[in-house]
Amino acid sequence: MSSRFGMAGGIPERRVRPIWDAVDSRQFKSALKLSTSLLSKYPNSPYAIALKALILERMGKVEEALSVCLTAKERLYSDKLVFIDDLTLSTLQIVFQRLGHLDFATSCYEYACGKFPNNVDLMMGLFNCYVREYSYVKQQQTAIKMYKTVVEERFLLWAVCSIQLQVSCGNGEEKLLLLAEGLLKKHVVSHSLHEPEALLVYISVLEQQAKYGAALELLSGKMGSLLVIEVDKLYIQGRLLARSCDYVAAAEIFKKVMEICPDDWENFLNFLGCLLEDDSRWCNGMLSDQIHRPRFVDCKLSHLADEVFDTRVSIASDFVETLQTNATSDSLRCPYLAKLEIERRKHLYGTGDTVNLKEALLKYFCRFGHLACFATDVEMFFQVLSPDERTQLLTKFIESCEPPHTAQLKVLGKSITIFKIRELIGTMFRLPVNKLERAVKFMAELYCQNLSLSKDLDPQENMPGEDLLSLASNVLVQLFWRTRLLGYLLEAVMVLEYGLTIRRYSWQYKVLLVHLYSHLSALPLAYEWYKTLEIKNIMLETVSHHILPQMLISPLWVDSSDILKDYLKFMDDHFKESADLTFLAYRHRNYSKAVEFVEFKERLQHSHQYWMARIEAPILQLKQKADNIDEEECVLENMNSGIQLIDYSSEERCKALTFNEDMQSRPWWTPSSDKNYLLGPFEEDSIKTRENLLQQQQTTEREVRARIIIQIRALVPRLIYLSIQSASSSLKETLEANDSIFDDNMSLKMKSLLECYARSLGLAFNDAVKEITSIANGQKSLEVSCSSIIDWMNFAVFVGAWKLSSREPSSPDGDSWRPGSLHIVDNFLKKFIIEKLKAMKPLTEFPGNDLLILVQMVTEPLAWHSLVIQSCIRASYPSGKRKKKSGPTTDLLTSPLFQAIQGSIESLRGTLEELTKFMQDQINASDDEILDKLFAPFQRKGCSEGPGQIIHILEDLASGSSEEEHGDRIARALHSWSSIDCLRKILVGQRKVLTEFELICESKLKLLQTLKLQM
Amino acid sequence: MVCIRQATKDDLLDIQECDQFCFPQCDSFPLKYYLSYNLWWPQLFYVAEDNRGRIVGYIQGEFHTKNPNSLSGEKEQTTNTECYGRIANLGVICTHRNCGIATRLMTVVHNVMEHVFAAEFVSLHVHKGNHAAFNLYNETLGYKIYDSIQKYYSDGADAFVMKKQLK
Repeated sequence: MSSRFGMAGGIPERRVRPIWDAVDSRQFKSALKLSTSLLSKYPNSPYAIALKALILERMGKVEEALSVCLTAKERLYSDKLVFIDDLTLSTLQIVFQRLGHLDFATSCYEYACGKFPNNVDLMMGLFNCYVREYSYVKQQQTAIKMYKTVVEERFLLWAVCSIQLQVSCGNGEEKLLLLAEGLLKKHVVSHSLHEPEALLVYISVLEQQAKYGAALELLSGKMGSLLVIEVDKLYIQGRLLARSCDYVAAAEIFKKVMEICPDDWENFLNFLGCLLEDDSRWCNGMLSDQIHRPRFVDCKLSHLADEVFDTRVSIASDFVETLQTNATSDSLRCPYLAKLEIERRKHLYGTGDTVNLKEALLKYFCRFGHLACFATDVEMFFQVLSPDERTQLLTKFIESCEPPHTAQLKVLGKSITIFKIRELIGTMFRLPVNKLERAVKFMAELYCQNLSLSKDLDPQENMPGEDLLSLASNVLVQLFWRTRLLGYLLEAVMVLEYGLTIRRYSWQYKVLLVHLYSHLSALPLAYEWYKTLEIKNIMLETVSHHILPQMLISPLWVDSSDILKDYLKFMDDHFKESADLTFLAYRHRNYSKAVEFVEFKERLQHSHQYWMARIEAPILQLKQKADNIDEEECVLENMNSGIQLIDYSSEERCKALTFNEDMQSRPWWTPSSDKNYLLGPFEEDSIKTRENLLQQQQTTEREVRARIIIQIRALVPRLIYLSIQSASSSLKETLEANDSIFDDNMSLKMKSLLECYARSLGLAFNDAVKEITSIANGQKSLEVSCSSIIDWMNFAVFVGAWKLSSREPSSPDGDSWRPGSLHIVDNFLKKFIIEKLKAMKPLTEFPGNDLLILVQMVTEPLAWHSLVIQSCIRASYPSGKRKKKSGPTTDLLTSPLFQAIQGSIESLRGTLEELTKFMQDQINASDDEILDKLFAPFQRKGCSEGPGQIIHILEDLASGSSEEEHGDRIARALHSWSSIDCLRKILVGQRKVLTEFELICESKLKLLQTLKLQM
Repeated sequence: MVCIRQATKDDLLDIQECDQFCFPQCDSFPLKYYLSYNLWWPQLFYVAEDNRGRIVGYIQGEFHTKNPNSLSGEKEQTTNTECYGRIANLGVICTHRNCGIATRLMTVVHNVMEHVFAAEFVSLHVHKGNHAAFNLYNETLGYKIYDSIQKYYSDGADAFVMKKQLK
């Protein structure tokens, strides 16, 4: 702040300070008073005017602030001004930025720099403006000017980073890097480099151009001493050698690093890769946009001759053994895991047998089997073994357990590890039901036996054996999948709720519950647990996928809107702030971070979830207002009639999407939001879920689907708008010839969007239209996944609306669409909604049913169709008068279109009435009866099979728990446990969803009743 | 068996999850906070990456040029200014505890503080009830109690101020 209080714009500090103090303490009114008095003394001072603008902006008087700010800008440009200081400019910059006019701020600085060409402070301000605008070329030019003026290393590096950004994030060609290299080379000759960051940037410029030799020379030269940490230097050296294919030298370097850091796995892979002349770690670059890399280490082996391979592998083995011998700590795992990797490579090459690998795995288990990370450590190596070999090895693991002298914690750790491995490699899926039941019982018993270990533990600490309940819950879900006995699923929920009663911080229990409650259609409970996860900041990007997709199609509009708002606010705030941080990185001479920050912002800006939220937020608003066409039009107006979203539908733009969701934390049965194995029958072969998940192909397929969904959904708001216009126009045409607002041009534009939409559905436009006609007429059935049904239904509504006013010559489907287009849409919608409704069973007994699909059918295609009808009816009144005065004319009443509208209203009413009846039946069903039914499996004391056994074990623990055994906190928590309360909560959650949906249907019924009366 | 390396932009998505796993009861730090560390002291911001590329631990250090008395909140004096480091955050997810990761993260940052920043000592605050962390700092890494601050943490708990001489 102190710099602000010099003679700013010729005003003494003592006059300005009170204004800033008032602004800082948010006393804007007094700040404004002081500013007025300052202006009376200095009416022409741009700084005084800028201060007033700043205060007005803080007071929320945006327009006034902009106008005052522009006045300050004008004064600044006045010829009379002999001096422009950075303080005035930076104050103006702050206000312009907050008002969303970065360009004005930039032009002020450009003007000032033009007037005072050698003022570095002003040039830095201008550079800052270009950083905010992400104008990399101008950044570069300004930095070069500064460099030429004062010949400081930092400005040269600013220019170089700006060039790198042109290449990585702009449209700059790679040959620009030559310029960067040239600038650096010239500077080094005359001044050398003095900062490690500068050297790293220089190396990166050379590396980007594949000039590895030159980079190595730099590193081994004088300037190499700038890198003080030896390991860092060696690592760069090894990387450069490997990328230049000098594998022998690179292997030597990585070996040195291993000797210094023997537990560095990444470096061991580098060492082994170089030894085996495998370029797969280097040829694709080191960075990946995936949040998690594939769990398998990719490798190439076939290029080596047998002898060479054997020699190299034996060198690696000898080295690893030396590392093992020299290990100074029991916790050093890398040399042991390295042994496994060597055996895996031998096996992949065809020279090794699995006996050695199994032996090495057993040794690794004996040493590290108690660690919670053991299962994930060895997952990759288990995949090499056949199913029988895996089972045999697991048996050996079990046999090796439980030496009597081992501490209880280690025994427990190893038992958990064995369960985890079974889950990871899918052997659980091959066990018969009775063995699975035995396994889950054992888990529960083990949990109970070991609970006393947590007696004195702080509630925030992880409990030993905590994993057992999530493992047990996962097995119970599998038992449900295989037997379809609802009791297992409810038990899976209860086990987790039980765990959370004891320790409410368990992240993994909560995530599993979010998904289980979602599957049970008890979304309010899912959302409650999700909220306790306290997802904030960047985790909104990685973790929201646990709740967002199901909430978006639910009737819980307010909660969905909150999730979207929080997420979008975080992202948009970050986009606003990231440029400031980038500039700070330049100032603090952390040049590589400046480039990284921009790349990170780019990554988030292309986030799949961000795009989805940007599209779904307005669609949600449209759903909420669909029962009132005037309000709907206001929503549409605020989004420029849907035009602003169309950009997202570009196939080209969608290619740049990034996927930052952390899918690894999802439960096994729903590896992504569009997959739920529990909805299909149990198939042992199709499962291997964990294995399938590992495949890159799965990820790619999901991404392709996600891109298509974005392309389709981005068109929806615009098509709603055009449908309303088209419907209105069709009526106006009937009433008053040539008074159509929906001209041929608009019709063509709508058709073009529908063609894009059809392409995304996988068909040409005419074929897609024919498909709809055939289905609506009952000649064909549509075989698509549930999520695509909505896309097809929306498409049918939009095509129907377009056909109402289209003057195109008859298409191959004949004239069946117009004026009967509404009838075809009615049939299409009714067919799907009633089909779904008929297949519906009581929610409480049949989880995962299609309730949310029904909700989506009503809140989207049906709602959009009702908007088309509302538009027609509104247009049937004499133009300019929207309110009913005299009603439609007799001619209109007898017109086929008007009769079709009447038919549509009746059809929609019929559908909604059936839906409402279904919901009311469920809402009004007796709670006690349902609870008795749900609780029945848990009351069968003494049963040795079926659901209920686990909860009995846990209930027995709860009733017998004492303060001495488990400590006061746990004993109290256990005594508060009630299984039936848990089931009651589920019932209440499901009721809430049904009630919200019923309210939506009733509102639509009311609307249709009103429309009917208006006709 | 992890790779300890400097944090990059791509780790920021993972680090916050790691934070949530390490300290489920605490408020998550804003992205700006992580970016700031990456901005001010990138040389003191390290992550531990496991063999599947997942971030399982992280450390954020700071470097200051100040009077050491200000460490415990005493009024700053202008004499005897020294360079010192501070450990702002250290976390290892529960599945990877007892593997020596915290020690390695601390050691690597000590090394940078000593050799790159020429820090004379390094300090940190530790929850008085966190025995595991206290033992790590005290027994394994040689930190000594320098002071204590009452109600330092948001839950009202006291903190020890611990210090390790680097030179």
